[in-house]
Order: sequence, then C-alpha cells, then structure tokens
Amino acid sequence: MTVSPLGRDIDRVDGRAKVTGAARYSADYPASDPTSKMAHAYLVTSTIARGSISAMDTAAAQNAPGVIGVYSPFNKLGLRPMPGIGENYAPLEDTQVRFRGQIIAMVVAESSRQARDAAGLITTTYDEQQPRTSLADEPRVPAAGPPGQPPPSATVLAPGVDSIEAALAASDVVVEATFHQPMQHAVAMEPHAVLAEWNSDRTQLTLYSGAQLPHLGAMAAAGRLGVPPTAVRLISPYVGGGFGSRVMPWYDAALAAAAARQLNRPVRLVLAREQVFTVVGHRSAIDQTIKLGASRDGVLNAVSHVTDASMPFVGYRHMQPAVDTSAVLYKTPNLSIDQRHVMLDVPPTCAMRAPTEAPGSFALETAMDELAIATGIDPVELRLRNYATAVPGTGLRWSSKHLDECYRVGARRFGWSARRAEPRSRVDGHWLVGMGMATAIYPGSRRPEPIQARVQLFDDDTAVVSSATADTGTGALTMLAITGAHELGIPLRRVTPELGDTALPPGAPSVASAGTSTTVPAVESAANAAIAELVTVAITSPRSPWHGANREDLTYEKGKLHGKGRSMSFGRLLTTVGRRNVEATVTAQPGPEATQYRYHSFGAHFCEVRVNRYTGEPRVTRFTTVVDIGRVVNAQATRSQIVGGVIFGIGHALLEDNPLELDTGRLAASNMADYMVPVNADIPDLDVHWLDRPDPVINNLGARGVGELGTVGSAAAVGNAIYNATGIRVRNLPITLDKLL
Amino acid sequence: MNPNDDAGHGPPGVSRRGVLGGGAAVAVAVPLLATGAEATPVADPASADLVTVKVKVNGKPVSVQVDPRVTLLDTLREGLELTGTKKGCDRGQCGACTVHVDGRRVLSCLTLAATVNEREITTIEGLARGDRLHPMQQAFIERDGLQCGFCTPGQIMSAVGMVHEGHANSDDEIRERMSGNICRCSCYPFIVEAIRDAQKVMR
Repeated sequence: MTVSPLGRDIDRVDGRAKVTGAARYSADYPASDPTSKMAHAYLVTSTIARGSISAMDTAAAQNAPGVIGVYSPFNKLGLRPMPGIGENYAPLEDTQVRFRGQIIAMVVAESSRQARDAAGLITTTYDEQQPRTSLADEPRVPAAGPPGQPPPSATVLAPGVDSIEAALAASDVVVEATFHQPMQHAVAMEPHAVLAEWNSDRTQLTLYSGAQLPHLGAMAAAGRLGVPPTAVRLISPYVGGGFGSRVMPWYDAALAAAAARQLNRPVRLVLAREQVFTVVGHRSAIDQTIKLGASRDGVLNAVSHVTDASMPFVGYRHMQPAVDTSAVLYKTPNLSIDQRHVMLDVPPTCAMRAPTEAPGSFALETAMDELAIATGIDPVELRLRNYATAVPGTGLRWSSKHLDECYRVGARRFGWSARRAEPRSRVDGHWLVGMGMATAIYPGSRRPEPIQARVQLFDDDTAVVSSATADTGTGALTMLAITGAHELGIPLRRVTPELGDTALPPGAPSVASAGTSTTVPAVESAANAAIAELVTVAITSPRSPWHGANREDLTYEKGKLHGKGRSMSFGRLLTTVGRRNVEATVTAQPGPEATQYRYHSFGAHFCEVRVNRYTGEPRVTRFTTVVDIGRVVNAQATRSQIVGGVIFGIGHALLEDNPLELDTGRLAASNMADYMVPVNADIPDLDVHWLDRPDPVINNLGARGVGELGTVGSAAAVGNAIYNATGIRVRNLPITLDKLL
Repeated sequence: MNPNDDAGHGPPGVSRRGVLGGGAAVAVAVPLLATGAEATPVADPASADLVTVKVKVNGKPVSVQVDPRVTLLDTLREGLELTGTKKGCDRGQCGACTVHVDGRRVLSCLTLAATVNEREITTIEGLARGDRLHPMQQAFIERDGLQCGFCTPGQIMSAVGMVHEGHANSDDEIRERMSGNICRCSCYPFIVEAIRDAQKVMR
C-alpha cells in the first residue's frame, strides 16, 4: 500500500547533499574539462555616485603576477543592454558612472587572489557630479510598472462623494501617519557567482550560476553577449538563497562569459560580499502616508495610501506597496492609492521577499493599530468589523478566503485575551511587556505564463519528474518529487526530481510565491499524459499482454495498469515490451478562472515583545502566525517557509537598515556586520499553524503559495507590540533601541 | 590559533626559508595552490614566497605549499577542492566557513593556512563515517534545519564544535553560541531543535 506523501512532513530530497557539502553551488564547480585551466575574475567598482571616468591607469594591474586580462571602458567586452531586463545600461561599455559601486573594470588572472590583488592596483580619475540622493526632495513621478501591471494610482468613491479628502473629512475618526522604511538587502548567504565555459569553437556557452529563473538567466546572457538564446545553457541546481536577488540576471554572468570567450578559457567570477550590496539590487527606500477615516465604532469610511519609493536611474523594480495591501484588504466605500517614484543615483533595485507587500503592510497595519487605539476597539475586532468579502471597488470575490478564521485561531493559540490595551501596563522586572497583531496578505495566483513539466516512467519502476524551476531553499525539488509520487501513486523514493537546468523543460519562475501553485498542475498533466502514453504502449506493442485491447479496457492505479483480469507495474510492462521508458512533456497555463477570481493567501500574526526599561532594547519573545494558504504539499517545508518569512519581517522591524549618505551616494553598510540581519539569539520559538482549507479554484490540489506571506505584516505586529509595551509609536524602521528611550 | 604554529616554527625541513631554498623541489601530496604554483611567471618575488604546510585534512595527511597570506578557507576550496566549506563574507561575519582545527571550531576565512601546520582539520566532508551521517547532519535533515543549504556546512560544524565545548545546555545557550552563524533563510528554531536532538545521540 503506497501512502501519498502529499501534505506530510517530508525531509528534503537534497538534504543529504546539503549536509555533507556535496551540493555544488555556483562557485564550487571546477572546469568541466580538467585540461582547460580556469581563470578567475574580480570586479572593480566606482567610488563616486554620478559623473564620468576621465582616466583609468591599469598598467600596474596588467603587469601584476598572473594577470591575463584587464577590461574597462577603455578595453571593452562589447556587452549589450537587454531592454526591459534588469539594468538599462551595460557595464564597461561607456565611461558614465550612474551609482556608487557600479562595475567599472574587471581583472582576470590565474588565481582569484591574483585577480583581487591586481584589481587593487587600478587607479581611476573621475569627473564628478553631485548625485541626486534625497528621497524627500527629488521630484516624484508615477510608479508605473510594465504593461499589464496595475495602474500606480486609483480612486474608488461612494456615490455622491467628491474626493477622498471629502470622505476623510466626513469621517468621525481620522488617523494619519507617515512611515519610512530604509533600503533593504536580500543578503542571500551565497554571494553571486558564475563559472562561464564555452565549447571549443566558442559557439555554445555553459553558465553555472544561481538563478530563480534559469531560462531568463540564459536568455539575458545570450542577449547581452549577442548570441542566440539556444547557444546558452544555465545550470543552477543549488541556489544559496534568492529572496528576489536572483530573479533578474545581473551582469556577472555576461561579463565572465565575455572574458571567457576572449581568453578561450573557463572564467569564474565571484562577487566579494561588499560588491553584492551594489552590483546586485536592493529594495527601494519608501516613504508612505496612510489616512484612515472611520466611524466611532471603527467601521472604515475612507482609506488613502500614498507611497514614494526610490527608483534608480539605472532601473529596475517598480514599487507599488498599496496594490496588494490597502487596495484589497479592508472593506471601505472610499479608497485612494497613489504610488510614486523618486528617481535617484543609487544602485539598481530589485524584488525582495514580499517586494511591495512587506512595506505596504507595515504602513497599513500600523495605521490600523493606531485606529484601534483612537476608537478604543480591540485590534482583532477592528479588523473583523472591516472584513472584506469582495475586492473593494469591484465585484470580484476571492477563490478562497478564511482570514477571519486565522484571526480567531491565532488569537486563541497566542492567548490574545490576556492583552491589556493600555500601553506600559505590563512590567516584568526590567522589561516592559507588550502584545501586538497584524494581518498578512500576499497574492496567491498561479503564474500567467505557460510552463512545462516532463514525466518519464522507466522500466525499473522509477520515474523522473523534470521542470526547470529553481529551488532557492523553498523545497521546490522535494515538491516536484512529492507531486510526482502523488500523481503516479508510487513511493517517493522511486521518483527522481530535476530542476535548475535550462536543458530541462522551462518551469515556473521561483518568484511571487507561485512556484508550487504553478508547478503542481503541470506535473499533474504530465503524469496523466505519461500514463496515457503507457496505455498506448500497452495496447500497441506486440509483446504486451494487452496488445490489441481498447484504451478503455485499461486503468492505471498506484504504479500499475489493470485490465482484462490482470495487472502489471509500468516497469514490468516496459521491460516486457522491451522499452526503457515512456515520457510526456506538457505545457500548462491557467484558464479563464485566473481572471474570474482574486487569489490571495492570508494570515494573522500575534507578537509579544519585551522592551528593556533602561536600555530600550526590544526583544521578540513570542510569535504566533496562522495562515490560510490552501492545500499544503509538504508540511515540513511549509513550516520552514512560514517561520523564515516571519523572521525576515522581524529583521525588517528591528535590525535592517542601509543608510544612504546624501552627499556622496554611498551606502553606509557593505558587509554583514553593518547590515544586520537576525541571528539565532534574536529569535524565540515561533508558533505557526495553517488552516486545512484547500483552494477550490486555483488548481486541482488546491495549493496556493506561502513563501512570502510570513514577511507581510510581521514587522507591523512587532511594532504594534512595542507600542503596547512602551506607548512609543515608531514609524521609521528599523525600531532600534535609541528610538525607544 | 596557537602563535607557536606560525610558519617559522614548523617542524624541521619546512621552515619558511627552507621552502624558499628548496623551491619547486618540495614534494607535495596534493595539487598545488593556484597562487604562484605551476608555470605561472612570477614577477613579484614576494608571491613566490611559499611555505609548506603539513596537515591532516579529514584524517588524511596532506602537504601543501601556500602563500603565507592565503587563508585556510581558500586553501581548502581552491587548493584541496574541498568546496563544502563556503565563503559567505570572507571576513568572519557570517560563519559559513566554519571548520574544526584540532576539534575546535574556527572561521577558516580568518585563519591563515600557514598557521595550521601539524594540525588536524575537519571539514563538512569529513564529518560522516562513510555513508553513515554524523548525528548532527541527520538531525539537521530531520528537523529541516536548512533551506538553501549554503550556510549549512558552517552551521553543522559550529554546532558539533559547540556541543563538544559543553555549552549546549539550554535552548538559550544554543541560540547564543550559534549566533556567529547567520542563516538568511532563517531556520533558527529548527537549528536549535536539531542541535537538541543530536546532542542526545552524541553523548
């Protein structure tokens, strides 16, 4: 009897490789041909934020030991920018400096240390201009995204209401608050790295480089190098963290590949940690103003959410923090969102876990806490009074929504009823104790684009499930295996999953928490198609016991074909007819249901903090998160994703900050001591729980996404708890001890 | 590190000057490091200033010629092709490069290879006994104390070292003493659980 692994606690199928050091990350690959000696590259980055390079002295570097190539705007590699993909310029192709920390030269040498040493010998002379760096002062432009994205501003007004201001003015209670969130960095543990290898006639390129979208990485490198997309294969089975930083391909791969083509040698380029902070994108700094108008009993009459996010002149990530927060979360007759960009001379931006929802929810959910205080209504009760059953301004309903249950279950598990509404009312020795809560919401839809999956059945009763999505730690590889085993009805150990290689069928982007919800239906279809192919073999192969039978005579169940009084495993059948395998590759895409509903995952966070009365030190001491995410494919990985997401939010709340020096455009933090992320001692045990509520629409399994949900609202829950503990409202992240004294 | 292990105080025959005199004649049991090795023309005499380091790595005696400025981390990864040990920051802030030197956990990015002469190095590749995983490795899998896996070798080496130090007596102590190992996927609660489990088996 084979029990489906679906929904159980399944250990990662790549766990053994990861705990033994056998798993190879991008910088771990040797040259595939041992006789071709690998060369090592090192980058030089700009020390001004705006201007141009007037001269560069590379003579000492060129003469340094082991150096075989020095590339710069004065010895170009000929890269081309790819419009719409990442940054809007190609490094080393002109002398313009667009931000501090921009790539301005690359040294290639026999060893990594020789390359690094020689890079330090290069001197650069600049014509410097004053950089534009002030989020507060530079001009605003609409935060319009690419075509297909929601508009940056929208207003919904009740009949007879002239403006959102009028709606606010007519409200009994108005809360207005302005929030600031600094630039934040993904800080994936693996610094970005690539090994680029060409074949002997330099027509085919293989890149070993961590990517959340392997096919996009290969396509971008091909375009930047001026070769056909079919000429590039990207291999990325292990990715040392993504969090958005490996969505858009940066220029490391194209630079290494261009040098490898010129030098006719494999080239490895590994970014130094400080370079990751500027060569790789960050999340924009964001100012947000929220205005809530409500009746005395807390029923919302008006919601206004205005955002100003830094946007680098080099591109690329448009920020719309209100779209999936204020525009959808609460029922309100009057709603206005206005999302703007402020163009600055700063390094590129990119997605970062819950890219816009995390900052948007910090602002909205903190403002809701302020409204709870202004109206004297319990924060959970306030949210229930404003519960939305349809998206405001539209008649659209959700595919599945059980957020109210998240609030109630979470409150009970956490012990919310013990909370005292009055700030500073619980003291334990040196510690002020407070409780806060907030809502989590994150888009739950499948990716709109078509993706592929392949299922192969082999004559030894094993199966291979392939789809070139990425496993950045999400557990995608294990998800592929579980889904394959579930659909084929065979034990997990007989399924080999494959991903992270553009030689495989293109899979779901590992973005937007949509990897699982998008991949699962593709694997399901591919499994069914492979079974259909197996039936075809059974009825058409002369040596098959079912030769000449009708398709309808056969049924497939748990790895076996049954029919006409006999049964045979697929492996046995394939052996009998002398075939090694059957396979099917399918393309899957959402149908009309994609636009008939809105898809979100939901959750409720409850947090207890202790703030030291004398030092102001805030400590998170308890945290409960209850989520509504549809069907769970792997309980263990789901728990890890929720916990990881919440801890990310705790980092935003208490630690993460990269101040921009306004005069120079320099980011103050460029290492992992200055840019602080949570460590083990910062984190208590977390209580996480999910409702067992499969989504009836999104796919047959009913699985939505979970990877980013925990990061949405968790920072607000911490801040609200800190207010409850101290009576101090901090709207300027991170909430450091100096702000609590 | 013990200052007596500086290259100049190594065993007879492998002093710094001796190596210089011997040059390429020094026998090596493993591939040379890339720096200054093989036929690369060397313009700067300083980069030819190699020292020989004899160590046991994961139980096997090896002898390497290293630039005295090179770290143990780069020696392991690039010289000995032991890439299980990771470089996350190269400046002692993240813990991904944690290995054992004579059973103690050290940051290999802050340890010069020349200072580990006559020492025993254990890396993540040397922790299992054949196919049998170390209890800490097994516990990390079972508790899901990892996600992307990049920090995991360092986490596990640090955890094993901490248990041997005798300072894993409570969850708070584990959290405090594992705080030199950053996990951005944020598996911290599961790392604590894994250490709690493995510790019982290790006793």
